[in-house]
Amino acid sequence: MAETEDPLVSLFKKRATAVTAKVVEVKDLREAMSYALEVCEKKDFCEQVYVGDNVKLGSYGKAAQKMLAAPGLSKQNFAMLEKNGKEKGFTVIRGGLRAHVSGIDVGFSTAEMGIASTGTCVLTLNNEDMRLTTMICEAHVVALPKSRLVNDLEDAENFLNKIMNKGVMYTSFISGPSRTADIERVLVIGVHGPLEMHVALMES
Amino acid sequence: MQTAANMKSYLKDLDEALADKFLRRTLEKFAVAYRAGRKAIFADINEKALVAEISASKVEALGKMEELYARFKAEAEKRGVTVHRAATGAEACEIVCRIARENNVKRIVKSKSMTGEEIHLNHPLEEMGCEVTETDLGEWIIQLRKEGPSHMVMPAIHLSRHQVADVFSEVGKEKRDGEDIAGLARFARRSLRAKFAAADMGISGANFALADTGSIGICTNEGNARLTTTLPRVHVAVCGIDKITPSISEAMRIIKVLPRNAVGQIITSYVNWITGANECALNPGGKKILHVVFLDNGRSALAKDPLCGKALSCVRCGACANVCPVFRMVGGHRMGHVYIGAIGLILTYFFHGRDKARNLVQNCINCEACKDVCAAGIDLPSIIQEIRARLNEEEGSPMESSLLSKVMANRKLFHTLLRFGKWAQRPVTGATPFIRHLPEIFMSGQGFRALPAISKKAFRDEWKTLKTSLPARGRYRLGLFAGCAQDFVYPEQLKAALEIFRAGNCPVDFPPEQSCCGLPVRMMGERQAAENIALQNVRAFAARDCDYVITLCASCASHIKNNYGQILAAYPHMAFEVEQFSGRIRDFTSFVRDILGLGADVFKKTGEAVAYHAPCHQCRGLGVIEQPRALIGETGEYKPSDEEQTCCGFGGTYSIKFPEISAQILDAKLSSFEATGASTLVTDCPGCVMQLRGGEEKRGRKLKVEHMSEFLARNIKT
Repeated sequence: MAETEDPLVSLFKKRATAVTAKVVEVKDLREAMSYALEVCEKKDFCEQVYVGDNVKLGSYGKAAQKMLAAPGLSKQNFAMLEKNGKEKGFTVIRGGLRAHVSGIDVGFSTAEMGIASTGTCVLTLNNEDMRLTTMICEAHVVALPKSRLVNDLEDAENFLNKIMNKGVMYTSFISGPSRTADIERVLVIGVHGPLEMHVALMES
Repeated sequence: MQTAANMKSYLKDLDEALADKFLRRTLEKFAVAYRAGRKAIFADINEKALVAEISASKVEALGKMEELYARFKAEAEKRGVTVHRAATGAEACEIVCRIARENNVKRIVKSKSMTGEEIHLNHPLEEMGCEVTETDLGEWIIQLRKEGPSHMVMPAIHLSRHQVADVFSEVGKEKRDGEDIAGLARFARRSLRAKFAAADMGISGANFALADTGSIGICTNEGNARLTTTLPRVHVAVCGIDKITPSISEAMRIIKVLPRNAVGQIITSYVNWITGANECALNPGGKKILHVVFLDNGRSALAKDPLCGKALSCVRCGACANVCPVFRMVGGHRMGHVYIGAIGLILTYFFHGRDKARNLVQNCINCEACKDVCAAGIDLPSIIQEIRARLNEEEGSPMESSLLSKVMANRKLFHTLLRFGKWAQRPVTGATPFIRHLPEIFMSGQGFRALPAISKKAFRDEWKTLKTSLPARGRYRLGLFAGCAQDFVYPEQLKAALEIFRAGNCPVDFPPEQSCCGLPVRMMGERQAAENIALQNVRAFAARDCDYVITLCASCASHIKNNYGQILAAYPHMAFEVEQFSGRIRDFTSFVRDILGLGADVFKKTGEAVAYHAPCHQCRGLGVIEQPRALIGETGEYKPSDEEQTCCGFGGTYSIKFPEISAQILDAKLSSFEATGASTLVTDCPGCVMQLRGGEEKRGRKLKVEHMSEFLARNIKT
C-alpha cells in the first residue's frame, strides 16, 4: 500500500506553490545545502545593482563569480558548503553581508517553523547578516524540517510568544518571493527582495 | 487628495474624473476582478465569524488604549526602543525631525505608511534638508509625480503604465518602455537599492503594535519594509495609537482577513515582527537606534465616541473602496483627503477636520456594500450619516435640507404637498406617467432618467375602497407600511401586492397615521426630523394587532429594522413598541416566499426571461438573497447577471446631489441587464424602480421594469 502523504505537507506544498515558491523534499540539511548549490548553478549570474559611487557596497553589472551566503549554519556545515561551493566556482560567505547590498545569487536560511495554510516559512533573524541574506539574494533557499509544520497562523502563536518574550528579535513570515502589482495591477515578481523562493522540506 | 473648497468645485472635480476614460476602465476592471477574487479567497474560511472576532477584539482594545500603551512602552523600552506619543500631527513630525537631527540624518528611506501620509511627514523632513525617498513602488511613483495616493493599498492605481514609464524616463534620464511592466519594476529595484544602501534613517508604518512584547508588525509584499527597517542605522516607526493590540493573537486574526480583503491574497509575501532594537553593525553599540512614534491626532477622543468610535477598528485593507460604486466611477482622489473610500470620508472628518470633510461626506450613496465586506465589521454608512448630522448641528443645515426635513416631519403638510404636486406637475407630464419638461431649476443634471409623475390618486386615498375586496380573517393579519414612493407615486405596486395577499388569504390593515420611514432625512443628517418621523410610525402601528408589518420598499424595511432602535434610544419607555414594530417588519418578497409559501399552485408558468436587480437594502440591509430569485423562477426564467447586487445609483437624495455619478452607475447597470437577454427586469424597491425604469425610458425601453408585486400579480393563475 502506498504511503499517504502527511496532510500538513500536502497543504504546505499546495499553498507555497500557489505563491510561486518552489517546494522540494530532501532528506536532511546536507541535501538542502546541495539543493542550494544546484539552484545557484542553474540560475543566471546575479545582476548587481548600482548602489552609489561613494559607497563601497559591491560591484555593478553582471557578477563575475556567483556568490552564496549562509550565515546561519554551524561551523562544520558551513565548511562543507564552502568546500562544495568552491568546487563549483562559487564564493560562499557567512558574514559581512553589508558589503554586498548590490546583490548576491543565493541566500540559504533555516526556518524555525512552517505554516501550512499560508505556505509560510517563519524565520528568526536577529543576526543582521542572516536578515540581510533573506533580502539581498536573488534566490532564497529555505530549509524547513517537516516536523516543524503547523496547520494555521494561530498554531504558531505559542512559539512566537515564546521567542518574542525572550528579548530582542526580528521575526519574518516569508511566503513566496517579493512581489508587486502597483503598476496597472500587473503582478511582477521580485521588486525589492528575492526573485525566487525555494523551500527544501527536510525529513529530519 | 480631495481639497475642493466648496460643493461646486467638488462637483467639477467629479465630472473631470468621470470623463477620464483610462481611470474608468481601470476601476471597472478592478471592481469586477476584485469581486470574483474575493469570493474565491474567502471560500475556505468562516469570514463572518472571523470578522466578528476582530470587531470584538478591536472594540475591547480601544476601550483600554491607555493601559495597552503603557504596557507597550514598558516592554519596548526594556528592549532598547524609545517610545514617543504625539498628540497632533505637527507634534509627530517634530519628534521625527528631532530624531533625524540628533542622529545627523541626511538621507531617509520610507516604506509605506498611511499615518505618515496623514501627517504629511515628508514636508518638514525635506524642509530641514533631508532627502526623503518612498520605496514602495506605488508610493515612489506618486512621490515622483507629486501626488497623493488614490487607494490605501494600491496608491498608484489611477496611473497607466505609460504614465509610469514617462516619470521613470525623466528620473533615469533614459527612455523607458511602458509595455514592459517588469522592466519598470526592475528599474525601481535598481534605483531604490542605491537609496536603501545610502540611507541613514528608515521610516516605516506598523500594522500592529503588540503590547505584551513591545513588538511592531508590518505586512508587505514587496519587501521594501524589510530593507527600510534593516539597512539604515536609525529606524523610526510611525503609527496610530489605535494599532496597539494586547498580543499577537489578535494580530493573527487580522492577518487572516487583511490581505484577503485588500488584494485577494491568503497572506502578504512578508510579515515582519520587530521586537526591540536589533543588531545593526553600523552603530557603535552594534544595536539599531529604534524609535516608535504613536500618533493620537484625535484618536483617544474618538475611541470614547459611542457612535463613531468603531471607525478606529479599521485595519486599512481598503476593501470599502474596492466595492464602492462611487469609487468605481470616480477613483480615490475624489473619494478621500488622505484616507480613501468609506473609511476615508469618516477619517477625513476626524483627522483632517470639517473643511476637508464637508463635501466628501455627502458622497456616499448608502448602498452598504462597504459595511458588507469590512474586515472589522464597521457600520461605515451609519457613521457617515452621523457625521452629516454633526456637520448640520455644528454649521447649520443647508436650506433645502432643513426645509425638506421640516416638511417631512409634519405628515399632514407633507402629504398635502404631495397631493398638491399632482396638480402642479400637470403641465409637465403630458399624458404619460413621467414628468416631461421640468423647468431647469428642478431638472439640473436630471436628464439621464425620466422622473415619474405623482399618481392621480394616492394609495391612502383609495384605501377605504380597496379594503372591501380583502378577506376579513385569514392566515396572517398584516399591517401595510406603504412608504412615500408607493403611496403617492406608484400606488399600483401596493394594489398588486393586495392581490397577492388575497391569493394568500391574508387580511390587511393600513394605519393612516403612518408617514415616510424617515430615511431621506437621516441621509441628510437631519437628526431631529428622523426621530420625529420614526416616533410617528411606531405610534401609528402600536395599537394595531398584526402578525407582520409588510413593506414593499427595501429601504423602508431595512431602515425601520436596523435603525429605529438607535434613533429612538432616547425613548426607553417606548422600547417595547419600537422593538415590536421593527421586529414585525418584513419585506414583501421574503414574506410571500418564506411565510406564505406561494408557488406553482398560484402562479402560471410563462418562461418569460426575467433579470433581477437586488436592492442594496434588500440583499445587504435585510440579507434577503435567495427568495426573489426563487419566486421569479416559479413563473418566469430567471436570468442572472454579475452586477445584480451592485447599487443602481439611486440612493434617494444622492441622485439629486450627484446626478452625474448616479447616471453613470445606472448606465453600466442597465447595460449589464440588457446583456442577459431578459425582457423584464424585476426589483424589490420603488426607488430602484424609479431609477431603473426612468433610465430605460431614456434608453428606449428595451427592458420592462417592474416591482416584484406587479410581476407576480400579473402572473397569478386565473
